Amino acid sequence: MDTDSTAVADSADENTPAGAAPVAARSSATGSDVVIETRNLSKIYKDFWGRKKVHALKSLDIEVRKGEIFGLLGPNGSGKSTTIKLILGLLFPTSGRVLVFDKDATETKKNEQIGYLPEESYLYQFLNAEETLDFYGRLFDMSGRQRKQRVEELLTLVGLQGARHRQLREYSKGMRRRVGLAQALINDPDLILLDEPTTGLDPIGIREMKDLILALRDQGKTILLCSHQLGDVQDVCDRVAILHQGELKELGRVTDLLKVQDVTEVHASGLSEEAKNEIREVIARHGADLKSMDNPTATMEDLFLNIVRESEARPGARRVSATASEEPAADEPAADEPAADASAADGSQAGSDKS
Amino acid sequence: MNLQPDDFWTFSEWLFRPGAFLESAFLQGVVLIVLAIVLGLLVGYVISAARYGPGEGFYAVARAIRDLLRTDLPGTSPSRIVALARLAFKEAIRRRVLFVVGLFVVILLLAGWFLNPESDDPARLYISFVLTATNYLVLALALFISAFSLPQDIENRTIYTIVTKPVRATEIVLGRMLGFVAVGTVMLIPMGLASYIFVDRGLDHTHYGVVEANEIDGRIVGKTDRVRKHQHTFTIEAGETQGLTNFVRGHRHVVTRHDDGSFTIGPPTGQLRARIPSYGEIQFYDRNGDPKDSGIDVGAERLAGGYGSAGISRLIGVAKGNRKLEHSYVEGGTLGMAEFTFDDVTRQRFPDKIPFDLSIRAYRSFKGDIESGIRGSLTFKNPDTGFSLTPKQFTVEEYQIDERELPLTFEWLNKETGEVETRNVFDHVVTEDGRMQILLKCLDSSQYLGVTKSGLYLRPAESSFAWNLTKAYGSIWLQMTMIIAFGVMFSTFLSGPVAMVATAVCVLLGFSAESIYDTRHFIDSNIERGGGPIESLVRLVKQDAMTTQLDVEGVANTLIKSADAVIVYTMDAVATALPNLPRMVSTAEYAASGIDIFNAVLARHTVATFGYCLLAFLISYFFLKAREIAA
Repeated sequence: MDTDSTAVADSADENTPAGAAPVAARSSATGSDVVIETRNLSKIYKDFWGRKKVHALKSLDIEVRKGEIFGLLGPNGSGKSTTIKLILGLLFPTSGRVLVFDKDATETKKNEQIGYLPEESYLYQFLNAEETLDFYGRLFDMSGRQRKQRVEELLTLVGLQGARHRQLREYSKGMRRRVGLAQALINDPDLILLDEPTTGLDPIGIREMKDLILALRDQGKTILLCSHQLGDVQDVCDRVAILHQGELKELGRVTDLLKVQDVTEVHASGLSEEAKNEIREVIARHGADLKSMDNPTATMEDLFLNIVRESEARPGARRVSATASEEPAADEPAADEPAADASAADGSQAGSDKS
Repeated sequence: MNLQPDDFWTFSEWLFRPGAFLESAFLQGVVLIVLAIVLGLLVGYVISAARYGPGEGFYAVARAIRDLLRTDLPGTSPSRIVALARLAFKEAIRRRVLFVVGLFVVILLLAGWFLNPESDDPARLYISFVLTATNYLVLALALFISAFSLPQDIENRTIYTIVTKPVRATEIVLGRMLGFVAVGTVMLIPMGLASYIFVDRGLDHTHYGVVEANEIDGRIVGKTDRVRKHQHTFTIEAGETQGLTNFVRGHRHVVTRHDDGSFTIGPPTGQLRARIPSYGEIQFYDRNGDPKDSGIDVGAERLAGGYGSAGISRLIGVAKGNRKLEHSYVEGGTLGMAEFTFDDVTRQRFPDKIPFDLSIRAYRSFKGDIESGIRGSLTFKNPDTGFSLTPKQFTVEEYQIDERELPLTFEWLNKETGEVETRNVFDHVVTEDGRMQILLKCLDSSQYLGVTKSGLYLRPAESSFAWNLTKAYGSIWLQMTMIIAFGVMFSTFLSGPVAMVATAVCVLLGFSAESIYDTRHFIDSNIERGGGPIESLVRLVKQDAMTTQLDVEGVANTLIKSADAVIVYTMDAVATALPNLPRMVSTAEYAASGIDIFNAVLARHTVATFGYCLLAFLISYFFLKAREIAA
């Protein structure tokens, strides 16, 4: 949206470039739109004799609303996975309740509207991709024709048409992840739970996963994901809850949480040296403190993605470049990719000056 | 084959036991299900009370039952069950369980070296071998595939992607059971075919020629050559070109005489049989001719066993003592005899002749003439008029079925006219309502003939051996289904190896049930027979005989005896609750003996199997439902 223009980045939506409509929808969320609700949710793991081992979750109260991407964030062992398992009914709460679509989490019926991608893709190794998806389709009582069509769609979506007849045991980790994602989407769910969705994926896969998550949100689906890849969470989540040692430490809108209130960021391209000096003077005149004024560096992710795209466009050619800023050719295909464009605004910053 | 009293029961007699309802299978089933429900509620409440507190625990149990009846049972979808069953099937197949079929073929090939076709009863040897091999191989396989699958799914967490779909616990349990039963079925079919071929080919042999043939008045009497340690005699009637040999080792051949005077001998026939017997009621008479419940007992065989048929009434102490049917003996040269009364002897069932089989034992009190064997006689008698035919004499052939027949006509000397008339058996020997008696006597004095109810029967029809073998395989299939149900049940709350051991313990307890009943009977009636497990151990260490008093004094004695009583009573209760597997295994004995497996017996096993499967299904459901899958 704001590829080449000079943007004054103090709007609340810097990191959610997916358009205004979903934002409006989300901000008007009311009580009836609550998809997941945990009330005073606690979980204590006990050993065989009933002795307490770990207090995995302490009095968690969160609400996930319809149409948002909600992130559970925290270090290992902070209770993210426990929360997801409680929501799915794989664990029973020690105290408190979980309501999913206003039903108790242990009810089977709720699963008809849920898709779940487990931490690792726990799938049957002896089935191939097509059989796997067909099997999960059967579990939803889908008709034969429906199943066939849906399996076809999903295999295309996750890019596994070529490997559909190979047993999963032969798959790479990333391919298994894709099948896992496809099985989570087999029933076109309204609520999708993703446990560490990007682990095991290469950067392209991560980018595609993030794009897909955003696309699903745009279709009106609710997504709950948990991750400790902070970048991923920042890129896609609307709201996050940060857990540590089973306790909720922070809950709120990503943009609100991350915004540094008294720093202003300006992006501009084509500024001359004089103009830059003039800006410095203006800042000094207003008594403000100039923290930095530099050419921004692209992220490794951007660099990698550009190289791969370049290589796909012109196979065989070896990319030789001095600096990223002198490579306009790399910028253009990136700008042509609508998905990349929609997913992250910073993708278009490579090569532009910052003042 | 020695049939026990309950083998003769019809299906409804077994189910309801008219006159002895306490022994009925129906009552046992109801008690088991009620007990399972009560125990289930109790255990469920204790577990949930520990988890949620006493008040909330009650609601948790109530919710589980409500869920089962309101949502889970009605919501159970056949197509999901089929999907899960297909998965279980594929899983087993891709784990290469079909290799077991290959293993079975290898076993058969090896057995070909060791099974001796020259033995006295090769058909029995071959049939019981293939059935036993199949039985134990399939049971072991059922144990392995059923006990490990679900725990492995939980351990690999593949179950996460299943239970987060709208899949109910009922469907997971049923899907597994059906999938594994399908695997077992797919394996049993080729094993059955291989068995049939193996038995059929293994018993086949050819006599190459005739060693002796004499023509007497156009009738040819001869002997075949000696193959597999036996030879036959044969007769070809005058004017015929074909004749039959006698029965040796359960088979005979067709002998054809060619124009040039040479003979060819056909393949063996009649060794693979499925006789359909029609049993009568038996009444013994002692040496003075007074009616008695049983004949003379010449051994200790009947002191143990046969308790199982008493069901619950034995467990609660109403029915006491064993019920084993063993051979009862008739003394020779006295008025002692065994009287068989047959019903439903009609012209429709026996249009040409009345075939009957003898399976009789002999007991010699002195060596006697060892060459000629012990002689007995059979008298056919009309129970109403007392009219009887001339006694037919025979020599006892032990340990094999002696096939005989009664022609429908007999010659009768009319004393008034002095003429010999030809009369019909049905007009004179059989009553209007179709009853006929056969009296069995022993002719050699001080020798004894032993018989049970199944020792003398009419044989109105014959079934095919292939069908009988199929029925025997059906019985194996039922056992396999039962073990799969138990394996899946245990695997819902135990880890794989433990579930397997638990299932195996159930199987072994089922197999040793009669010994446990025996032990309890001996303890109850103060008979010294080794005692319970602790007492037995003490006797083993002290090297004391089983039948002496336990050589331990005072308190220790009381302690040992009481502890044993508790253990034996507990094992008794558990064994009574478990399926009676040995009874199901013993259907193989029917096939091996060449007797058609009674449909009532098969129906009983079927109903019992599905009863136990239902029980296992309910228990599995509650355990799976109450289980934290991710814990």
